[in-house]
Amino acid sequence: MTGPWPPTSRTVRDRGVIDFLQLTVAGLSAGSAYGLVAVGFVTIHSVTGIINLAQGEFAMVAAFVAIALLAAGLPLPIAALLAVLVVALGAAAVERVAIAPAAGSSVVAYIMLTLGVSITLKASALLIEGPQPSALPAFTPGILSFGGVLVRPQDLWILAATAVAALGLYGFLERTVTGKAFRACAEQPTAARLVGISPSRMSTLSFVLAGVVGAVAGVASSPVIQTDWNIGLFLGLKGFVAASLGGLASIPAAIAGGLLLGVVESLGAFYISSGLRDAIAFFVLIVVLVARPSGVFSTHAGVRAGVRAH
Amino acid sequence: MTRSSFRWIGATLTVLLLLLAGCAESDDAADPGATGPAGEATVAGTGVPGGDGTATAGAATEAGEATDTEGATDTSGEEGPIRMGAVLDITGPGANLGGPERDTLQLLAEQINAAGGVDGREVELDIRDNQSREDEAATQLTSLLQEEVDIILGASRTGPSLAMRPLAEQAAIPMISLAANQAIVDGSEWVFKTAQNDRVVVEKIVAYMQTQDWQTLGLVRDASAFGEGVADLFRDVSGDADIVAVEERFATDATEFTAQMLSLRSAGADVNVIWGIPPAAATATQAYRDLGLDIPLMHSHGIGNQVFLEVAGPAAEGVVFPIGRLLVADELGDDDPQKEVITTFVADYADAYGAPPSTFAGHAYDAFQLAVQAFGEVGTDPAAVRDYLETAELTGISGVFRMTPEDHSGLTSDALVIVEVADGDWTLAADQPDGS
Repeated sequence: MTGPWPPTSRTVRDRGVIDFLQLTVAGLSAGSAYGLVAVGFVTIHSVTGIINLAQGEFAMVAAFVAIALLAAGLPLPIAALLAVLVVALGAAAVERVAIAPAAGSSVVAYIMLTLGVSITLKASALLIEGPQPSALPAFTPGILSFGGVLVRPQDLWILAATAVAALGLYGFLERTVTGKAFRACAEQPTAARLVGISPSRMSTLSFVLAGVVGAVAGVASSPVIQTDWNIGLFLGLKGFVAASLGGLASIPAAIAGGLLLGVVESLGAFYISSGLRDAIAFFVLIVVLVARPSGVFSTHAGVRAGVRAH
Repeated sequence: MTRSSFRWIGATLTVLLLLLAGCAESDDAADPGATGPAGEATVAGTGVPGGDGTATAGAATEAGEATDTEGATDTSGEEGPIRMGAVLDITGPGANLGGPERDTLQLLAEQINAAGGVDGREVELDIRDNQSREDEAATQLTSLLQEEVDIILGASRTGPSLAMRPLAEQAAIPMISLAANQAIVDGSEWVFKTAQNDRVVVEKIVAYMQTQDWQTLGLVRDASAFGEGVADLFRDVSGDADIVAVEERFATDATEFTAQMLSLRSAGADVNVIWGIPPAAATATQAYRDLGLDIPLMHSHGIGNQVFLEVAGPAAEGVVFPIGRLLVADELGDDDPQKEVITTFVADYADAYGAPPSTFAGHAYDAFQLAVQAFGEVGTDPAAVRDYLETAELTGISGVFRMTPEDHSGLTSDALVIVEVADGDWTLAADQPDGS
């Protein structure tokens, strides 16, 4: 246990604390991306009942669009925002072209349609971008040290982007008429129709919102995870687990599920076994599904409350 | 609603897990092949069939001393084009490997046909894409065998290669894999391969550790077949049961490495080894630097393509690893036996495709030249070709091959040199273990 770490002045106990904090930071950073993707699952599922298997691909496409715009000479912030916009519109187009025409189909058929969208997006990315990964540059280069805990500025950017996207979504759903209509459609579809809310419009809107949060996740995390054509599967799986931890019904619970999953993975990889990192996520999911099918954060089991913004 | 939500979650999860399982399988397969990057070798023959390879095959009735012409005469009845089948990982996770390999085979076939073919016979290539999948590799191989090709080249990675091996053995058609794992050729009768064995790579790393007086290593390895068993190889090769101070793993598609790096940090070994392929190997290297580890860092031959340098960026500086000579072709001494072959290939490839060849391209080059050399010496009778290959010698891109009936890989650790990343490019390391 000798070596360049820790510096000789530190005790082993200090090192244990620093390691723990270091792992937690890494887990929160990864978990933020999971959480945002999870929010995308929740917004679409709450209104339409569909599990959108292309959710991870929204993140992948957004990162590639941002990389292309940056390469075309646009400044990074503009490229990032445009990428989010493009994916939001693209998600709306997906809903119009692939989902809406199948109105009245069974949920399984819808899920298969989203699987088709996912495969199409992946194959297109492979054809256009090739198999090699690429990445946005870190928004802020360098490394920060907080009492020995080393933090990449990009980790803070990811946390901030998650906070902004989540609060923005919260504000939209709580404070705007359209947002309230969206929630009404999720919670009481029949009553919502009776008061004149179009389920079809809300379905499109759910894809737009999912596109936005997925795109934010993809763009913010690109500098640290490396975007390739297949990264959507990874993000989609982890996001789905996070959404399930939150019961697939609540936006705050989805974010919390993502953060929890990220931290559990990170700590488990160090304290249990690095080889079990991915297994830990699915083990947690199975336990939760068996013990608390409505999610770890739900206050009373057995209630699906649609998109609860609080 | 809860019950039905639950059911949907279950159903969706099942679908996702099936997808994941599918991917994991192909990843595993991919990685081992990826290992292959190491190779660069020079094949002597530069396009001239049978040029260098002196077949000393004692047993071979077919070719023994025959000249090219005599060989052709001996195998009378063999006319028409020579048909070479290839099954490569052209799309899917192995596309980094299969693409350059396909380009290489096409280039070499054009060259040889422009020069009049092999003993006047044209070379016909039939290249199939296995989509980086084992089942597709088997399907495509079966189809090629029905078309009665004279030899099989491929696959690019270990998984698909292992799927093809029993079919080639059963059909009694020679096959030359481009992948790394020794299991592809262990005990095989009809299967050969051109990428260096993992064991040879470990030998080189251990030899380099001795030159630096490093006793222990911390290992962070790919959790797939590519990294499986590497720790045991280190113990076995070094004869030191304690050489591996700590072993951590990561998934091939992993993006987050804090836990593994903290483990290396507290283990405090003399050197750390990351055994994987890009992008994971590159992002792990970034995490290594970000977390302030200043212990020397080595890698495997898995990183020998441009993607590693691009993804790892400045974090790659100072990384040391064993790889074939192709990456440092311009630094080879004039007395290096592979120099001429490598520089010719690099120039031809860059001329045709506008970019330097990867080590994977080198594996395809070696396989093609071995096959052409055999055809030139003994014609296309499968048994004759097999017997010839068992004693074939070739100065190739990945090394100087000396096949034997026991060793269908034919390369030793001499095929590797220690390369260091400096100023964002590959360079021959100052310290080279003896024998390279």
